[in-house]
Amino acid sequence: MTKRRKWTAIPGLLALATGAVILSAYSGASSSQHSSPVQPINFPHPVHVQKLGMNCLYCHNAANKSMDPGMPAVSTCMGCHNLIGPDRPATDLGPKRHSTELAKLYKYADQAAVGAGMGPNAKPIPWVRIHKVPEYVHFPHTRHINIGVTCQTCHGQVQKMDRVYQYASLNMGWCISCHVNGYSPKEGLEASGYAPQQTASATLASTAPATLATAERKKARYDCANCHY
Amino acid sequence: MSQDTSPTGASGATGVKRREFLKVLGASSAALAVTACQEETGKLIPYLVSPDETVPGVSTYYATTCRECAAACGIIAETRDGRAIKLEGNPEHPLNRGALCARGQSALQGLYNPDRLRTPLVKENGAWKAITWDDAIARLSQQIGQARSRGAAGGAVFINQHESGSFPRFLDTWLAGFGMPPHLSVDAEAHAATLEANRRTYGVAWPTLSFSDARLIVSFGADFLESWGASVPQQLDFADARAKLDGAPRFVYIGARRSLTGLNADAWLACKPGSELAIANALAGKGSIQQAATESGVDAAALQQLASELSAAKPALVLSGVNGANALDVALAVAAINQASGAVGTTIRPAEPITAFDGIATTGQLLAAVERMRAGQVGIAFVRGANPAYTLPKSAKFADAFAKVGYRVSFTSYPDETTELCDLVIPDLHSLESWGDAAPVRGTIGLQQPTMDPVYPTLSKTLPAALGTADVLIQAAKKDPASAARYPEQDYRTWLMAGFAGGPRGFAAALPKGIAPGNLAPRTAVAAPTVAARAAAAGTGPFTLYAYTSPVLGDGRGANKPWLQELPDPVTKVCWTSWVEIHPETAQRLGIARGDILEVKTDSGTLRAPAFPFLGIHKDAIAIPTGQGHRASAQIATFDWKAHKPGDLQWGYGRYARDLSINVLDLLPVATDAAGGAVLTSTRASITNTGDNMVLPSTEGSARQHGRGIAQAVNAADLNKPPKEEEHLPGDASHAFLPGLRSPVAADAQGDFGAPSDANIGKNKGLYDPNDIRGMAKRRWAMTIDLARCTGCSACVTACYAENNIPTVGAFWQNATIWADQKPGLNIARGREMNWIRLERYFEGNLDGKFGVDFETRFVPMLCQHCGNAPCEPVCPVYATYHSPDGLNVQVYNRCVGTRYCSNNCPYKVRYFNWFGYGESDRKQYAFPEPLDWQLNPDVTVRGKGVMEKCSFCVQRIREAENRAALEHRELKPDEFTTACAQACPSRAIVWGDAADPNWTVAQRAQDKRGYHVFEELNTFTAVVYLKKVNHPATGAQAPAAD
Repeated sequence: MTKRRKWTAIPGLLALATGAVILSAYSGASSSQHSSPVQPINFPHPVHVQKLGMNCLYCHNAANKSMDPGMPAVSTCMGCHNLIGPDRPATDLGPKRHSTELAKLYKYADQAAVGAGMGPNAKPIPWVRIHKVPEYVHFPHTRHINIGVTCQTCHGQVQKMDRVYQYASLNMGWCISCHVNGYSPKEGLEASGYAPQQTASATLASTAPATLATAERKKARYDCANCHY
Repeated sequence: MSQDTSPTGASGATGVKRREFLKVLGASSAALAVTACQEETGKLIPYLVSPDETVPGVSTYYATTCRECAAACGIIAETRDGRAIKLEGNPEHPLNRGALCARGQSALQGLYNPDRLRTPLVKENGAWKAITWDDAIARLSQQIGQARSRGAAGGAVFINQHESGSFPRFLDTWLAGFGMPPHLSVDAEAHAATLEANRRTYGVAWPTLSFSDARLIVSFGADFLESWGASVPQQLDFADARAKLDGAPRFVYIGARRSLTGLNADAWLACKPGSELAIANALAGKGSIQQAATESGVDAAALQQLASELSAAKPALVLSGVNGANALDVALAVAAINQASGAVGTTIRPAEPITAFDGIATTGQLLAAVERMRAGQVGIAFVRGANPAYTLPKSAKFADAFAKVGYRVSFTSYPDETTELCDLVIPDLHSLESWGDAAPVRGTIGLQQPTMDPVYPTLSKTLPAALGTADVLIQAAKKDPASAARYPEQDYRTWLMAGFAGGPRGFAAALPKGIAPGNLAPRTAVAAPTVAARAAAAGTGPFTLYAYTSPVLGDGRGANKPWLQELPDPVTKVCWTSWVEIHPETAQRLGIARGDILEVKTDSGTLRAPAFPFLGIHKDAIAIPTGQGHRASAQIATFDWKAHKPGDLQWGYGRYARDLSINVLDLLPVATDAAGGAVLTSTRASITNTGDNMVLPSTEGSARQHGRGIAQAVNAADLNKPPKEEEHLPGDASHAFLPGLRSPVAADAQGDFGAPSDANIGKNKGLYDPNDIRGMAKRRWAMTIDLARCTGCSACVTACYAENNIPTVGAFWQNATIWADQKPGLNIARGREMNWIRLERYFEGNLDGKFGVDFETRFVPMLCQHCGNAPCEPVCPVYATYHSPDGLNVQVYNRCVGTRYCSNNCPYKVRYFNWFGYGESDRKQYAFPEPLDWQLNPDVTVRGKGVMEKCSFCVQRIREAENRAALEHRELKPDEFTTACAQACPSRAIVWGDAADPNWTVAQRAQDKRGYHVFEELNTFTAVVYLKKVNHPATGAQAPAAD
């Protein structure tokens, strides 16, 4: 076997490998799972959810009404941050400090000072999208939220993420496995991080309806035309 | 795997080490992974301040008024995230009762037209310059001031596209404030002779016409299903009349051309053009039948029969829509027949008038104004919406006269012919962006409100973002010291609401319904100058030229909307061009074949257009529709999609309309009838075959059924005969509604393809089990289409385009890239149209070379039949099409690889293939150039190149309704929602729903004894049940065989 012959196979193999990779990319087997882009403002979910106890639906208020969960309007941020500015006095949440992220928010809202209100040149915050299904998939948030699927089942424990990343693969097999095998409210509650045995927040755990944690797996439709149309 | 048994043998034979291979593989995949896995997800841009009453991703609905024709139907605009995406009829509106025609649907493409003017323009030294809104208003008020100081105000002319409501009154007051005379409210589609005859006979411009109370309907060229009067309410009522089946009125159409309305008639009396008066007089008893027969060329026996039918049938409804030189005489004669037969008060109700047509200026009055321009008596002229440079015959030489006007201002949003002749252009808001009101019928006020922020806001620091013509007029008046005091209101909206009976509060309270009881203050009575009829020599030639208003494009204003260009004419099934209709016998005699380019010559001009042999035209006549032939007066390069930049001026009414075929009005002399209406059918013409030929862009496969029984009919007399032994009711067969008999996916899900060792094989039917907890197989979505109601108007087709993001494919730059042919409609001519629902039109009778008048027409809306045993499903190699448990034949776009086997195997030919990237914005075939893409329904995937698509039974509406019901913890309610086609249908022919639930209307309709499945013999078990058309042959006569 000559050396020349040995290397002639390389282009063929390359082509095969390229083809395989392209096919796998095209088939949707690839995913942006774990991608964690830098956001224009490093929004701290842990502070808002864990420290302040805000509900996901306070900001993503269309999630239980619409296909689209909605991103909070700048005015929603400024509802509270009108009075909570970049220069923070010492409170029970921490010592006196300056927040560069809130300074960015004030810049987007074109707000000069605490209490001044949004200015005329306010601009929306261009959040970098993380979770995206292709255009030929129609994912109704409302159906999932209202049947009791916890947000964390698909999005991970965002309340603990310093920077949000894509928790699930969002591939079709991932969708289907839940639709066919059924969603377990117990597992969902565990995934949320607020299940009784896992969470330190006793109040949250006690408010979760007992039936949720014990109910059977809820199977969903897995017909193609439920999502693809 | 060992090297020896490698299936490729390559790595073993060449000795590339496994590690080397993996290195190479790893490097190449890493390089690719960067591009493949880092999916471009884009940005999420939130609101600054979230608007009230809206939820992102959920539609908001606004009731408003349609302004696509003068009738002013009520519409509900569906908006999503601040953009109007769909128009539907307002069910509470007394005029259209929830229905909407194709032209009304297309208002969205006027709103989002890519060639809409974006900023004010001024013509300086023959070149156009964009100016700011502040500058435009300053120039306007300066010009008005100059005109007044020169003493030219009294001679000013304001030509407005007719609309009912408060705006005409507002405009007259504004004009009077500057010493200008009242405006001319023109509508080239209005039928002046009928309006005048109505006013003289009944005292109102348009009484309510009741078709359902009539025992006999006779129409002298009155095309009440298309261009004559308020077509949607007339069609609703006509369909209601026809739905009485054996109790329905017989309908006789008299005229030289059998229009869409004529094709819906039970009999056609093909009279010579212009001889309608003789027949009307004979029917009124003022002339002898024999004389009328001689004059009109109609068989005397047929006339005699009609006369006796008319005297027997009480009440009858006789209508006139003749456009000849004697139009008013015919209209008055017909009115006399109605009065004599006691129809007034029963089928003709002057006490319930339609007020939308009040105050329309005639063509004669417009021509008088043009003559004053020509004489140099007009110092300043304004045009809003109207396009006289196009809608007046070329022989009126409008452009020459207009050039003699001192200063010309256009308030039009589109680059049309008249606007191009102006000096200053201040674009108007679209009706879906502006405030207003309308007077559709006496006792009801229609309200108009903005459904969204303007597509092109003013971008001015000092002016509001939304500035309509009325607002501009107020702003101009504020700049004038003498007028400022008269306009304390900041904008037209304030003026409008202040003048409303209940004030702003009452207006706001009435807005959700879109209508309010009451009547608007009438426009100050305009002393309409009576204009004498202008006779013109008919000229010479063997044929009478019969110009008629296009049912689709109207007087030409629809031509810039690709949905309407692509919508096949209901009669000829031709789109994207004009044509010359000629009788087949005449064509045979002259050696003219379909598509031969004819040169049509009259004393006024010569034009070339393709021939269309048509049974429904008199042998001595040729017919050409209006609407096409828009031209720019300046030299404009052919539209180039690549060089085009947004905002480039597309004179000639935009890229979709410019230079398409011919404008028939160029062949007509300037002539008006005694009522001032344009004479369209009294000119003689000669034709020459040029020898050229073109393939007509047409969706007509065959004009005949060839015994296939696609469109079936039954004679009224046979309706109640007992069914034959072998006959069965299609909806009755339980097997006919079983889903998924042979679909591989369904069979797999039913467990048939499971491993033989599986104990549950054939038992676990999953979602296909009717008792499955997820309840999908409980439902069987199905449709009935009543052919007795269907008139073939094609409103369903455009509604489907709007709902389902269907691309239009006929523009000339959308053809193939290689060997590109710049012919408009070429894709259609090649059978690549994309209409998920199409209107098939079949002729019956008159076979074997006989060319008589005795033929029948059947219209069949044809869409995916959602077969229970679908031929398309087993042939798909990738399971992209399959049968869903709820009875849909589903097309999964992301699975489809475009083999087209399914389309090949579909007996109904209802599958459509994306030959080009119509949905991809970087391709020249892109069908939605911005901002047309703002209209796209976010609930429906925009399909890419190489994908098969077809009717989905509006599955997105099913899912939306199911989501809504789940949110409210309830089951779907019967008839809770319907498909886009069924919703729009102005005949109420289409009923859709769950056939498995007897509480849905469709389940009851499917049991009708007239029901049948198309191609039932193929065992497709379709989900669409057609109800046979009902024919009403004259007593004693035998209709064409009903098969």
